[in-house]
Amino acid sequence: MNNLVFGKYIPIDSLIHRLDPRAKLIGLFLMIAAVFIPKSWIAFLVIGVMIAIALLLAKIGIKMIVQSFKPMIVMLLFLMLINSLSIKTGYVLFSIGTFDVYSDAIFNTLFVIVRLLLMISITTLLTATTNPLDLTLGIEWMLKPLQVVHFPAHEVAMMVSIALRFIPTIIEETMRIMNAQKSRGVDFENGKLSEKISAILSLIVPLFSVAFERAYELADAMEARGYVPGAQRTRYHVLKFNFLDYLFIFICLLVMVFSILSRFYL
Amino acid sequence: MSLIEVKDVTFSYNGTRNAVDGVSFDIEKGSYVTIIGHNGSGKSTMAKLIAGLLPIKKGKIVIDGDEVNEENIAMIRNKLGIVFQNPDNQFIGSTVKDDIAFGLENKMVESEKMPAIIEEYANKVGLSAFLNYEPQNLSGGQKQRVAIAGILAMHPSILIFDEATSMLDPKGKKEIKQLMYELSGDDEITIISITHDIEEVLQSDDCIVLNKGKIFMHGKPEAVFKEPEKLREIDLDIPFVEQTREAFGKYKIRLKSDDLKGMVDELCRYRSNH
Repeated sequence: MNNLVFGKYIPIDSLIHRLDPRAKLIGLFLMIAAVFIPKSWIAFLVIGVMIAIALLLAKIGIKMIVQSFKPMIVMLLFLMLINSLSIKTGYVLFSIGTFDVYSDAIFNTLFVIVRLLLMISITTLLTATTNPLDLTLGIEWMLKPLQVVHFPAHEVAMMVSIALRFIPTIIEETMRIMNAQKSRGVDFENGKLSEKISAILSLIVPLFSVAFERAYELADAMEARGYVPGAQRTRYHVLKFNFLDYLFIFICLLVMVFSILSRFYL
Repeated sequence: MSLIEVKDVTFSYNGTRNAVDGVSFDIEKGSYVTIIGHNGSGKSTMAKLIAGLLPIKKGKIVIDGDEVNEENIAMIRNKLGIVFQNPDNQFIGSTVKDDIAFGLENKMVESEKMPAIIEEYANKVGLSAFLNYEPQNLSGGQKQRVAIAGILAMHPSILIFDEATSMLDPKGKKEIKQLMYELSGDDEITIISITHDIEEVLQSDDCIVLNKGKIFMHGKPEAVFKEPEKLREIDLDIPFVEQTREAFGKYKIRLKSDDLKGMVDELCRYRSNH
């Protein structure tokens, strides 16, 4: 569970870390749009350089991006195979026996790979530099317009932040139950499929029952401290836009405009 | 008029057996009251009824002149804080300061005023160096202290401890008990502590013994422990002082002191007198 790299927050201090989560969320949407629009290599190069600069500012190593990318390699190889079989435009790049591989097949796949790499870099930039709680606040802010149609933005944000808070507690609990079951002779690693399923069940049933118990107690604790769902509350964390946040959004906007223009001029 | 008046309260979870059965008692302002009894005696249910976390169907509870019911609940919760047993399941915020802020946010305290209040109460429970800590990096005792800080920050006049020390290690237990004793010195704060800890009961002003949902004994702790036979009848522990008194009683030596030191003095005098 510790090798999960994608979406992990890296608690260091950097220029990007200090940006308002809302600015980063807006930037994320603009940049993802920017990555999907262009069709020229020059445009990708420019966007790539911009993202690389942001990664450098955020002190995120290339290793982290590569690790996030690894699980997708099999899928991309498969895509390459499908494209080679189905796309028959462009010129013949090379032949395997009597089978011709066309240039467009390869280039289309490369486009997908580059887009994917850029997208992973953008999302990593967001999640690695934004503490989950701030991210929740940012998402709550973005969902606010939906309150007009009675969407409970605040309650959803509260649910997400409590879920985030309890992830380490539940993992600890899982480990404890696993050890308790192991000491009673349950084997999680070996055995037939049916045995494995019953082993997993011996983990899941107590885990759920404990989780429900926790939920009841937590609800009592929240209620006792005056929490009323849907009621007006003040906030301890108040988000504030600074000059740098506006500048960041402006740059992202520029990149998106550039990528739209690149469709026409490059 | 007493601060808390419990009148003939009966409560049942499933309709067949009463968890609390016709209980009545009064609690005076500024006092430190302990409620003891075996598991299933109804003591935690009693705490939840006072805090308005369970609906009162029979009888009534009046706090500071207001009856605990659906209508008054928000006002009553403002006056009352409750520390639960499990340190993990009452930690709501993602860090110490966020958890202390949770109650303040509900109370509509302005954002600018929060940091100072958080600082003040973290300091009061000795956790000012831990403000940015996440719950998984705190000990059980520290988490309970965070819960207490979060509640104190809301200025309640009544504090309920629902077996708040029972899941802690000896060090954590000692810390929380120490904090409770300090708080009990404040005349503005009334403490109700549900506990298994006999030594803690001796520190309280008043003790209520529950058995099978009914009040079994009620009075000053010294008076309650003067009847060890009755306590033994419902399998409750007896403090060391009373055990000593009883043991000497078998040899027709009657000790009158309520603490060990006094007993030792008495014994020394006893020898010189006989």
